[in-house]
Amino acid sequence: MKSSTVIILDNGASTIKAGVVGVHNTDPRVITNAIVRSKGDKGTYIGHELDKCRDFSSLHYRLPFEKGYLTDWDAEKAIWDGLFSHEVLAVNTAESSLLITEPYFNLPNIQDVYDQFVFEEYDFQSYYRCAPAIQTWLLAASLIPYGKLYARPGLPAPDCMLVVDSGFSFTHVVPILNGEIVWNAVKRIDVGGKLLTNQLKELASFRQWNMMDETHIVNNIKEKCCYVSTDFTQDMETSHLNPRSNSIVQEYILPDFSLNRPGRIRRRDEPLEGQAQVMYMNNERFTVPEIMFRPDDIGLEQSGIASTVAQSVALLPEDLQGMFWAHIGLIGGNAKFPGFRERLESELRALAPVDCEPAIYSSKDPILESYRSGVAFAKKHAFTQQAVTRAEYLEIGSNASRRKFRDWKPASVDASKEPEQASRKGPTRPQRGTRDNSPPPARKTSKDKGKGRATTRR
Amino acid sequence: MPPRRQPQRQTQVAASYLDPEVIAKRRRRHLDELERSNYAEPSASLAGIEEDEDAPAGRSVKGKARQFVISDKREWPGMPKKKSSHSVRTAVLYKKNLEKLIDESGIANYPPEAPTYLSAVASPPREPPRLICSVCGYWGKYKCRKCAMPYCDLNCEGVHNETRCERRVM
Repeated sequence: MKSSTVIILDNGASTIKAGVVGVHNTDPRVITNAIVRSKGDKGTYIGHELDKCRDFSSLHYRLPFEKGYLTDWDAEKAIWDGLFSHEVLAVNTAESSLLITEPYFNLPNIQDVYDQFVFEEYDFQSYYRCAPAIQTWLLAASLIPYGKLYARPGLPAPDCMLVVDSGFSFTHVVPILNGEIVWNAVKRIDVGGKLLTNQLKELASFRQWNMMDETHIVNNIKEKCCYVSTDFTQDMETSHLNPRSNSIVQEYILPDFSLNRPGRIRRRDEPLEGQAQVMYMNNERFTVPEIMFRPDDIGLEQSGIASTVAQSVALLPEDLQGMFWAHIGLIGGNAKFPGFRERLESELRALAPVDCEPAIYSSKDPILESYRSGVAFAKKHAFTQQAVTRAEYLEIGSNASRRKFRDWKPASVDASKEPEQASRKGPTRPQRGTRDNSPPPARKTSKDKGKGRATTRR
Repeated sequence: MPPRRQPQRQTQVAASYLDPEVIAKRRRRHLDELERSNYAEPSASLAGIEEDEDAPAGRSVKGKARQFVISDKREWPGMPKKKSSHSVRTAVLYKKNLEKLIDESGIANYPPEAPTYLSAVASPPREPPRLICSVCGYWGKYKCRKCAMPYCDLNCEGVHNETRCERRVM
């Protein structure tokens, strides 16, 4: 395979960060990973088309992801089709290689569908699939100057690090040792940006304006107004004194799409236009992101981020634990909340052993961190080596990626699963002479062509 | 007789009003609500009927293919038209929800020491839960005697009784 176009696809549940290596090295295209229908203009917007939308009231979302895992392939295909087309990336997938992210602990049956889409639908030459945090390590290892996370000039990349990846669907604590995710110490908290937005929606609708259908607007309010409190008790008292006027309260002027006026925070003493509607953001500003640190505030029986980090570190080799405490990195959109890092740092200091000083590495663009690391990885020889090629896939099907992509599945389970699959799909062991036994994917495609035609014609 | 009745009534009160199972159910339902992508049921809205048929994402009857395939509806400049393979077509036409996929993946049968989606969840918190007023968000010192939701003062209690009490219980 000659050097070809490499496409990086950080396929997040909320936004896709995608680009072509060499063209979008630092600034990928960021598109909504959803099909959105606007009630206002009755338009349907697929993925990147949302840029054209002007009326963001009562948007109806169809998300390909459910609880962080890709389940709606019809929606995802529509969005990916648009992404690869001339409207966005303008790439010929059949002449390209792909680096795509998948969620931690992605299910094996979902992984097979990734393979099928990559090779059977888009005909990529080769592809590599991994969880977002693993790339962050690669970035650290390569010390590429445009990624700030962990990159300290003059010092080699740490062997031990712990990535806190807090995204749209959930939050993961991911320890990485010598470039490998230590899967048995990976922990998940089911709190992500989606839940926080929905919580704010509910609070605002109960207390002030009915915003239950205004996910887009409330998400903007969350991003502009919310912060992680570094002193929850104190902030609670401050906000309680005078709910309409204290050092915390902000007035958010709701957008008016009929006048093409976006929403914003009201400046001090700014006169209000006659029809402007104002939402008071008082304790909502900090009680909403607080859920990441105290999921039990909404009755979710899971530890907060800090204690989950401690749980995860406790599962790691004892002599290395200090190293993990000292290399904690933050990625994912929730790391953008002001105060996130400070709060985590102070809570971790209380949890870490006396002789360990927790050190947190954060990035200005925690959302793009994974993409940029992906670019760094794609430029390395390892990418070509570890990627599964179309030829390999055509020969042994998804077994190719099961063998080549290191992920959470224990080797023993993989081995015990393969014979089972073999009995279902035909022999898969290559040494048995794939040709005489007619390899399963090849046979499948020839048979399927007929079937596919029949269904599409109907 | 009267001395006998009293304890009976007390247990009845406890059972019908503060049953921890009812509260747990309410919590789970609330958490499910927080996972939703849209508040309004798509079938209720009228615009774009053809998409609505399908939009609830996964409500298709078991074994029945999607009626409306959005990825077929749009042609993009520069994307070659092609017939999808059988596997791709199946994935597009038959959506399975996550619960079903987890079930079919067999990860529940992995050896207990193997880490999976199911085992990776963070353990329950060590601290006791904080009570936060369900009305205004301040510390909730009191709990509603009917539905156990916390509130902070008489004012919030009034709002709670009028609007919220037992709404989430069922």
